[in-house]
Parts: sequence; structure tokens; C-alpha cells
Amino acid sequence: MTGKKPALVAALVLASLCVLPLGLGIYPQHVLIVSLFYTMMACSWNLLAGYTGQVSFGHAAMAGIGAYTSGILAVKAGVNPWVGIAAGTVLAAVLGLALGALCLKMGGIYLSLTTLAFSQILHIVIVNEYDVTRGTMGLQVPGLMSEYSKLGYYYIMLAAAAAVLAVIYRMIHSNLGLNFRAVQNDELAAKSVGVRVLHVRVLAFTVASAMAGFAGGLYGHYLLLITPEIPSLDLQFKVLAMTVIGGMGSLVGPVLGAFALNILEEYIRGYGEYHVLVFGLVALVVARFAPNGLLGLWRKLRRPAPAAEEAAAAGGRVRDASTGS
Amino acid sequence: MPLLEGQHVSKSFGGVQALTDVDFAVEAGTVVGLIGPNGAGKTTLFNTVAGAFKPTAGRIVFDGTDVTGLPANTICRMGMARTFQVTRPFAGMTCLENVMVAAINRHPQKPRTFIESFAREKLGLTGLDALAATEARHLNVIQKKRLELARALATEPKLLMLDEVLGGLNTQEIGQAVEFIRRLRDEAGLTILWIEHVMGAIMQAAQQVIVLDQGRVLMAGTPTEVVNDPRVIQAYLGE
Repeated sequence: MTGKKPALVAALVLASLCVLPLGLGIYPQHVLIVSLFYTMMACSWNLLAGYTGQVSFGHAAMAGIGAYTSGILAVKAGVNPWVGIAAGTVLAAVLGLALGALCLKMGGIYLSLTTLAFSQILHIVIVNEYDVTRGTMGLQVPGLMSEYSKLGYYYIMLAAAAAVLAVIYRMIHSNLGLNFRAVQNDELAAKSVGVRVLHVRVLAFTVASAMAGFAGGLYGHYLLLITPEIPSLDLQFKVLAMTVIGGMGSLVGPVLGAFALNILEEYIRGYGEYHVLVFGLVALVVARFAPNGLLGLWRKLRRPAPAAEEAAAAGGRVRDASTGS
Repeated sequence: MPLLEGQHVSKSFGGVQALTDVDFAVEAGTVVGLIGPNGAGKTTLFNTVAGAFKPTAGRIVFDGTDVTGLPANTICRMGMARTFQVTRPFAGMTCLENVMVAAINRHPQKPRTFIESFAREKLGLTGLDALAATEARHLNVIQKKRLELARALATEPKLLMLDEVLGGLNTQEIGQAVEFIRRLRDEAGLTILWIEHVMGAIMQAAQQVIVLDQGRVLMAGTPTEVVNDPRVIQAYLGE
């Protein structure tokens, strides 16, 4: 918020991410590309869960919508992948809007259950509509470039992730962002000061769904094979864990979480199905000892209990600093 | 025509009848006290008027418009603001941001610089300037009440509804608060509907007092009429 510092930091990070893959082999480059996909997923899911307090389990499904829309258009109608990705993004946004309008009035656990159902229905349809989606065999789709290049994909994903983050940054620093946070903090109080709560929530849902669709579309054309793994609950929970472990409700947290967990996953892949267990343990430890995620931990280590100091410095009578936290 | 009028307002929760056939009117430019024993339905009436609850029966007319059953945010935009008995600040946001939320929804087109100085002004009014950058969850109860007042004022209401804002204040602070509420009426031209247990404060500031008891209007009148009414004394002290 203050001055040019965030812009400077963002520019530095972006610059180092630009040179990062140059010395690396194909495999680390692949890990980074996947991390960038997860960055987009976690950051946009965070827009929902972290900023407006809506825990959706349909985010991976939206990525699936993006991937399959673009893939099917390319395979069945020969549509250019970029046009297909745009179409997938729009379709995800429309579905997000519809789903949002349908169930956001319910809020809370009902929203979670409805999105979970949506996700499962989509998964079942994709697995069974073999003629269109090739089921669990997966749909082979063309790439984004005429000549396959890991580095090329890396830069595309990097640009896409930067764009998604820039849009999120703009949103949370606008009036909309204040409304988002007000809704997340206290819905009734938000209504009482004129925030159009339903409007705000549906908007967040639509934008986040569009971002997931966009990320999914790109990811599909990178993998060249779209499987029901994308719109799966496995992927959904991974995105959830990344956001929570990184730090929900912050801009940088989900980015950290996406990279940290995705790289961690590569290391523990050898344990097969047990790697989910390791994931769960990490999430458990973080939730217990660093409820604000990696980012919260970092901030806490840098300056202990900053808010209390601030309040004291401001001359306030801090009598019940513990209440409401 | 009164600024706010309730006609035969009833509200029940399942089998519990919280409000029964409540008629009341709040004239523009006045301070109206809403009193009654605990559980009389005062806060329920607030919630029903402000759109947090839908009345089971009856009509609520605000500023010439039927607002019965409209959502709270719509009613707020029409010029009704409230505080909460148990405060509900946006805990994870700073005091300034808390008030800015109200400001941006009143002035959506205005630039951020305007919104910020507007919000700071409201914080200044309630004496919270020094805490602008502090997260609301670190405030004490009294500061939270002040913050809610600042937030309500930032919606630029015609009608301000206060729910027990004096709780926890000492005599001197109560005097200042009453003076502040009077000034809101006389200088800012606000109409105020005020739930309060501190009778002395109501006596000093209100032109009209509505007494609720067991979900019904026991009586309405000037403060002097009310405190001398045997029914009111009985409702508070019992048989």
C-alpha cells in the first residue's frame, strides 16, 4: 500500500524468476512450470477463501472446465489453443457466476458442500463421456508452440501467473478489496454499512473461477494430455493445503505455499501414496504452530507481536487485547 | 410524517414471540429513547428495523418508503445506520479501514484520497485518530463502540440507531457521550433512535421515549411522562 516498495520487490522477484530456469535442466524447469500453475490456482482460491471467506471445493473443477473446454475445442474443431483457453476462461467464469448465484446465498458449509457436489459431478461426467473426453485415458491436445520448448512454456506460465497476481493485487487494493475483507470479517456488520454482500461474493466467485479456468487451460496445453486428474479432489485439496500452509488472506502466502509444497511433493514422490500423509502432517503442524501460514511465521519471527506494540505506541488503552482474536 | 414508522410489527423465532404488534414512530430531528427490561425485545426491534431480520408481520416505513424485508445493505444505503450491542468491528482490519468500508459504500465514485480523509475525520469525531492504524481486534470494548459509531457516521445516515453505547463508561464519560449525541442531533441534523439502560442519559437527551416490555409497546411519551408512569415502574421493579 505504501509507496513504491511492493512494486520494486515484485519487479526484483519477477526478474530473478526470469533468469532462474536458464541454468536448470528440463526436470527442474518442469517442476517450476507446475509450481506456477499451482501459484495461479492457490492465489485465486485465496481470493475466495482468504479474502471473502468462501471455502469452495469446486476450484479444481473450474480448472478442469478450462482445460477440457480448450482441449475439446482443439481436438474436435481444430480451434487455436489460445482461443480455446479464452473460451475455457469465459466458460469457467459463466459457471462460476451461475454456481455463485445459486449457492452463495447459502454461504458457509452449504457453499462448500454444493461446490463439492459440482466437482464430483463434473469428474464423473468427464470420466464417463469417453467419446468426448477420452475418460481416464486422457485427451491428447496440441501444444501452445509449434516447437516444444520447456523454457517457452516456463515464460508463458510466468507471464500468466504474473498477470493473475497483478489482477488480484489491483482488486484487493481497490474498493472491492475492502469490501471483500469486510465480508470475510463480519458479514452482518458489512451489510449494516452498506456492503452488497451477495454481489461481492458472487463477483469474487466469478473472477476466481475465471482464473482457475485460465490456469487449467494453459496447464492442459502444457501437459499435452488432459486427464480427470485436473478436476479432481486431490488437486483441489493440494491447492487448499498450499493456500493454508503458505498463508491465507495474504497476497504472497499462497505463492510461497504453491512453490514449497509442489517442490516438497517432488522430494517425497518416492513414498507413493504415502506422500499424501506427509502433506497432511505438514498441514497439521503448520495449522498448530503457524496458523497464519509460512508468511505469518516469517512476519512473527521478524517482529514479535507487532500489533500490540502499535496499539500501545498509539496511546490506546489496550485492556482486552485478547478479545476477538 | 415521521422519519421512521413501525406498524403492527411482529417477530417470532419458532415458538418464541419476541415482538407483538409493535407500533412506533420516530420524528425527524429528534432523539428517541428505546427502553425496557432485559429481554423486552429492544435489540430484536433494531434488527427488524435495520433489515437483519424480516418481521413476521407488520410494516416498516423509512423516509416515506416501505422497507419491510429489504436487505440491511439496501436500508443502509437509504440512510439508516446502526451500532451493535455486542460490537462487531471488522476485527482483522485497521480502524481506518473499518471506517473506509462504510465510506466507499456511501461514496463509491470518490478517489481514495477523499475516502481516507473522510474516514479519518469520522475517526477524529469519536476520538480514535491515534488508533487509525491499529487492527480493530486490539481495541478495548469502549474503543470498539467508538469505532462502530465512527463507522455508522461514515455511512452519512439520516437515522442513527445506537444500541447501548454507554455501557462501561463512568459518569463523566457518560456526560461527554450525551453531549456528543445531542450535537449529532442539533449540529449534524441526525435523527437518533437509542437503546439505553442508563436512564439519566436518556432523560437528558431524548424528546421521546418508547418503552418495550415482553415484546409489546408498554407506552410512549416524554421522558418525564415515562418515568412517572406506574406501568413502567412496575415493569422494571415487578409487582
